[in-house]
Amino acid sequence: MQKNSTSMQQQHSIGRFCKITFFICCLASNAIAQVDFAREVRPIFQEHCYECHGPDKQKSGYRLDVREVALKGGDMGEAAIVPKEAAKSPLFRFVNGDDDESLMPPKDSGKPRLTNEELKKIQTWLDEGAIWPDEFSGQKRQASSHWSLRPLVLPAAPNASSNAIDAFVHEKLAQQKLALSPETDRQTLIRRLSFDLIGLPPSPDEIDAFVSDRSSEAYQTLVDRLLASSHYGERWGRHWLDIARYTESQGFEYDRLRDNAWHYRDYVIKSFNNDKPYTEFMKEQIAGDVMEPMTQDGIVATSLLVCGPWDQAGNSQKNATQRAITREDELEDMIGVVGQSFLGLTVNCARCHAHKFDPIPHEEYYRIKSVFEGVKHGERGIATVEESKSHNLLQKELEIEIDRANKTMARIETEASKQAIAKRQSGSSEPGPVPFAKWTFDGTATEVMPGKLKGGAVIKKLEFDSGVLHLPKSGAFFETASLTKEIREKTLEAWVSLANLDQGGGAAIAIETGNGHTFDAIVFGEKQPKKWMAGSEGFSRTSELDTQEESSDPNTFIHVAIVYASDNSISLFRNGVPLGKPYTPTTPLVTFLAGDAHVLLGRRHTGGGRPWLTGEIKQAALYDRALSNEEVSASFRAGGFAATKAEVMASLTLEQSDNHSAALDNLQRAKRSLANLKKLPVSYTGVRVQPPITKRLKRGDVNSPDEDVTPGALSAVFELEPDFGLAADSPEKERRLKFADWLSDVRNPLPARVMANRVWHLHFGQGLVATPNDFGVSGERPSHPELLDWLAVKFAESGWSVKSLHRLIVHSATYRQASKHIDSAATIDADNRLLWRFVPRRLEAEAVRDAMLVASGQLSRNGGGPSFRPFTTTEFNATFYTPVDRDEPEFNRRTVYRINVNSGKDPLLDSFDCPDPSVKTPRRGVTTTPLQALELMNNAFVQRQASYLAQRAMRTANDDLSSAVETAYRLALGRTPNRAELIRAIAVAKERSLASICWALFNSTEFIYVR
Amino acid sequence: MSGDRLYAPTIPKGQVSPFSRRHFLWNSGGGLGAIALAWMLNRDSLKASGSPERSALQPHFAAKAKRVVQVFCAGGVSHLDTFDYKPELEKRDGKSLEGKGENLGFFGQPGRLMKSVYGFNQYGKSGAWVSSLLPHLSQCVDDVCFLHSMVAKSNNHTPAAFQMNSGFTLNGFPCLGSWLSYGLGTENENLPAFVVLPDPRGLPAGGSINWTSGFLPANHQGVAFRTQSGEPVPDLQTPKSISLSARLADMQMLSTMNREFAAGHPGDDAFAARLRAYELAAQMQASIPEATDLSSETEATQRMYGLDEPANKGFARNCLTARRLLERGVRFVQILNGGSFGSPRINWDGHENVKENHDAQALTMDKPVAALIQDLKQRGMFEDTLFVWSTEFGRSPATQGLGAPGRDHHPTAFTCFLAGAGVKKGMSYGTSDEIGYFAAENKVTIPDFHATILHLLGLNHEKLTFYHNGINRRLTDVHGQVIDGVLS
Repeated sequence: MQKNSTSMQQQHSIGRFCKITFFICCLASNAIAQVDFAREVRPIFQEHCYECHGPDKQKSGYRLDVREVALKGGDMGEAAIVPKEAAKSPLFRFVNGDDDESLMPPKDSGKPRLTNEELKKIQTWLDEGAIWPDEFSGQKRQASSHWSLRPLVLPAAPNASSNAIDAFVHEKLAQQKLALSPETDRQTLIRRLSFDLIGLPPSPDEIDAFVSDRSSEAYQTLVDRLLASSHYGERWGRHWLDIARYTESQGFEYDRLRDNAWHYRDYVIKSFNNDKPYTEFMKEQIAGDVMEPMTQDGIVATSLLVCGPWDQAGNSQKNATQRAITREDELEDMIGVVGQSFLGLTVNCARCHAHKFDPIPHEEYYRIKSVFEGVKHGERGIATVEESKSHNLLQKELEIEIDRANKTMARIETEASKQAIAKRQSGSSEPGPVPFAKWTFDGTATEVMPGKLKGGAVIKKLEFDSGVLHLPKSGAFFETASLTKEIREKTLEAWVSLANLDQGGGAAIAIETGNGHTFDAIVFGEKQPKKWMAGSEGFSRTSELDTQEESSDPNTFIHVAIVYASDNSISLFRNGVPLGKPYTPTTPLVTFLAGDAHVLLGRRHTGGGRPWLTGEIKQAALYDRALSNEEVSASFRAGGFAATKAEVMASLTLEQSDNHSAALDNLQRAKRSLANLKKLPVSYTGVRVQPPITKRLKRGDVNSPDEDVTPGALSAVFELEPDFGLAADSPEKERRLKFADWLSDVRNPLPARVMANRVWHLHFGQGLVATPNDFGVSGERPSHPELLDWLAVKFAESGWSVKSLHRLIVHSATYRQASKHIDSAATIDADNRLLWRFVPRRLEAEAVRDAMLVASGQLSRNGGGPSFRPFTTTEFNATFYTPVDRDEPEFNRRTVYRINVNSGKDPLLDSFDCPDPSVKTPRRGVTTTPLQALELMNNAFVQRQASYLAQRAMRTANDDLSSAVETAYRLALGRTPNRAELIRAIAVAKERSLASICWALFNSTEFIYVR
Repeated sequence: MSGDRLYAPTIPKGQVSPFSRRHFLWNSGGGLGAIALAWMLNRDSLKASGSPERSALQPHFAAKAKRVVQVFCAGGVSHLDTFDYKPELEKRDGKSLEGKGENLGFFGQPGRLMKSVYGFNQYGKSGAWVSSLLPHLSQCVDDVCFLHSMVAKSNNHTPAAFQMNSGFTLNGFPCLGSWLSYGLGTENENLPAFVVLPDPRGLPAGGSINWTSGFLPANHQGVAFRTQSGEPVPDLQTPKSISLSARLADMQMLSTMNREFAAGHPGDDAFAARLRAYELAAQMQASIPEATDLSSETEATQRMYGLDEPANKGFARNCLTARRLLERGVRFVQILNGGSFGSPRINWDGHENVKENHDAQALTMDKPVAALIQDLKQRGMFEDTLFVWSTEFGRSPATQGLGAPGRDHHPTAFTCFLAGAGVKKGMSYGTSDEIGYFAAENKVTIPDFHATILHLLGLNHEKLTFYHNGINRRLTDVHGQVIDGVLS
């Protein structure tokens, strides 16, 4: 931030408070100019000029983003900028002239003319000599003068004899004639440290032990104990999850739950607990899945890239432009989280144009995009190679056994069905596989799941064939009785003729749950005109197939079938031939329950829009197994005249019958073993594809691709080579590996500074840099630049140990000082930027809830694993969440284990500023509102914990009221009540109940603040 | 949290900033910048005055409107079957759609052009065309200003709804109501500044994401009132197991404890703020039930809104409740018409059959909304209340699929209207092309729409900013121009 003398004077004249502001700015500034090019002038150029005089276009041969050209001028042949003389600079005339025709931006450009304020800035800048810093020259790389980009070197502490942190802090305080406050009392200190490091209050015994321990190691022992606690990772992991915008639902329209996102939460907690070197932590989150040796942690770590919201509907819609925009938004979110979390740079701001403030050219956004272009949302397996190998071997064996049994049964049934058909009067020559249920319209009774004609459906008698189901108009369909057995893997099949090929959305056959919310169906023309697809609710198991359009004549029966196999693959067939490639959807195979699900013919599902098929259906069938390709083909050849299961079974010879039941036994045993085979774990880590070559998008417009871009990093980090030397089509894993190396290279000054500041911020409630995700030009300047660099260097020297960073900080007198407000100090430094005291801090939402559970004795200390879900969900295309309040151990786990969904918020946590999970939150809001008071007053959880605290206190005190009150105070506030408080509380407890006291304790300011 | 430096709307020179109240509610951890400075300058005057003021924050310039009510119709109302009359579409009924470029629909199955499924007539002195679908709203045309040239960014429900609500198609951006709460504060501390009245038939997709304060502090979040429930706001009421007298006594004890603590730790305003928060909470326990209790409304009023009609008793209740909330100083009331998913549909998403669908939806929406307009007008509240009628996007002039009677989503032309404080009456602004496919004259983007709403409330959309992760965020991003043509 560069300030000039005039503005300094202005600040002086505002009053004494501003001296601090000035002082800090002055430290960070290295030039004296009224108008700063990077902050004030370049953004004006960017907004008004670069579209026609920038990287994409150079009208009149002029460009304003490259210093030399900007000065020299374009086609007109004269210098466009005359330093120190705005009046003589053509540049200024072009934006500040009288001639409406020549004035820039042109009036037909749709861009507004420059405001007087903007003109004034440009004029001043020109008059001052048009100072244009090298890093914005737009030409060869220059080392940036911006503070956060300068190389990191260890600054000398002002006073070598004392604690370095205190020396740095003292130096600035002394300049303002301020001093550190004295050390706070031990009772306060242990409560502060405990909440800070593990997010939970100390127990009364722990407080007593610390207060009475007069040894010189007492504090160090306490710090070590807390840092070694597994609760430490739960506390600091939660902080990281805020930054990572960790959500366990998709957000947007469907907001579906992510059942398997929690592995990342556990990874983060474990990493903090194990004090994983921060460089490792960074690298794993970028490229852990492709680093050697491959570990489950490594794969899970990369969830960072995709643990934000995902627009499922936007990704599956028809409009190509909108779909491309959705994907670009996704990538911006990824680049945003990587840039802000590790580098403290808002790289994402360079998507449409060069960064407005920071030296990040437009093309570098696309170089980084190329690094992550192969990352897509979704789940993948996280088992190690060995685990997968032995699992797959076993699975394969069972599948072979199942296949063998199936084939045996099919062979026997085929033979028997020949006999069955022979018994009939007439029939086709070749029998097909035998369905579980089959519907024909020839007047013969349907044994399994008989159905009813609805909405104008009729049975039409045909001359030769016996009869067909006729669906003459929208609304006509056939609905069967409920399933008589549970169906998982299955085959749907129908012989259908379409009345016309322009229809869309109807299904030949569908199986759906009783409420119609979940279904699988053979659907025609819904997503792609004239094409068949496997329909499903919200297209969750649907894929668009690359196939020919249907072209059959109306009234010609075609055979369509879909096989849903136990491995969740889905295969479509038309007239016995595969239609497109089999695929595996991301949502699992559905179990349709006996007594609930049923089958529909002619309707996609109950409740859906445009579900009707018009035409005729000759025969439809449901198989309780996945048919093989040959079986589907055989069924087609059979021509829709298969024998029913009952017919077949009745035709078995004795020997056939024995072999059949033996095969059935084998089949069932193998299936049971398969079902019991523990599933390989999957997690929402995203999936990887080899992406097409990345192109720079002009103005970020998906329809304006420009030159090819190769993967790389930021040139602003001067000590490192931003070009990875990779080709534009290099393997995607190489890109991320290179980026991970670049990020964690010790010469990259940003990660150490950014993380040191985060840790400081979370200990003191404000960072040395007040904008923890933005170390760029528009972010705040550090209040103590040397201290920040000292911490950053020490952090790197410690082997990137976050715990050692905590130790440095919490052992300082600065951290341990009292929180008492001092009026005289506040008049000089009201915001306590200089750290003359420890500012009292309100507990975060999680800490409020967890602290109540600790005090009441109800906290369940089970860590890790799937999250607890304090709501019920309703599925209707989207997921809806209704909160429930349960008094069970599972729900009394720490709040970090609560499932973090976008639209299923908790009013208590919400009122304490629990962030929107989709927002990258480096710093939480702290509000005090009436709704927050209402939650503490009336929320059932709070009421309940208050009663438990009362019961616990009475139990501990052997029903002695006076000591019960003391216990309650000690458990909730970490101190004993004074005499007046005790007398008052006893009176209240006698008149009403001890629970009243406990309720008041949980509502008290003292409880929800640490001092 | 004053690290979020540009937390405050810019203060006109020479004016004492009104920060004390907000600072009071938002306890600052400290930091440099405009807010901290402004607050420091103001702190002495706060101390002198002894108690925090109740007044709202100052707008950037004189405001026409003090508060806003927005009706939001979920699913996408067909402009072609409501307010945007297209004779040319009648002529070309059944012809194929040509020369309009890439198909814009969500399902991508364009059929042939289809004329409006309703007849149109002219109404009022202004002679505005309205279809027979809306017999009640057609009587209001002289009070409103139509915008026939609206365009949305997305053709997909939730991103489009997010854009109308927050200016962005993505999750996590503050909604219009949150920006107003942040920029102007509240006029009645006993009620939330931003209230949402969801349709009793169902929530919109994304639920509470639709009224999030995003990265703005949580006190600016929309509060959804469950108007069909005995407890409009969760945890509003004292638990039944606790007697009123016991609760009163407990509150007094708590107040004593908190006061003692604040007195023992002087200088930290946050501690005093907590005392005040409990006073306000206690007042809300009375004021919210009072504001949502319709029993004191006359029978005539209730009938005017259609409370006696089964088709719209839930939505009509919300419209009447909205008026009561506005009367009591709520800054922004959003009434949602329609939820996301239902069978049959519970919103305006007429893919299959636009007539069947719109017939059913209009039955709930038309009369109560017209009544709200009339009611605000007759009570003189139109003088300082801005009325906004909006939807996600329009619907396509072509059918969805050949021979089908439905219309797909259509983002490149649709209609919204404004009415009330500062808005021209009996007027139409902008046009769509001959068949209502693209916006033609005076295109209005959603940032333009938002800029205009903020303008009417006295806020400069370019100056109402909040620093978040590197950007001084605005409701209007880097876009938006106030539509002068609609200002009276």
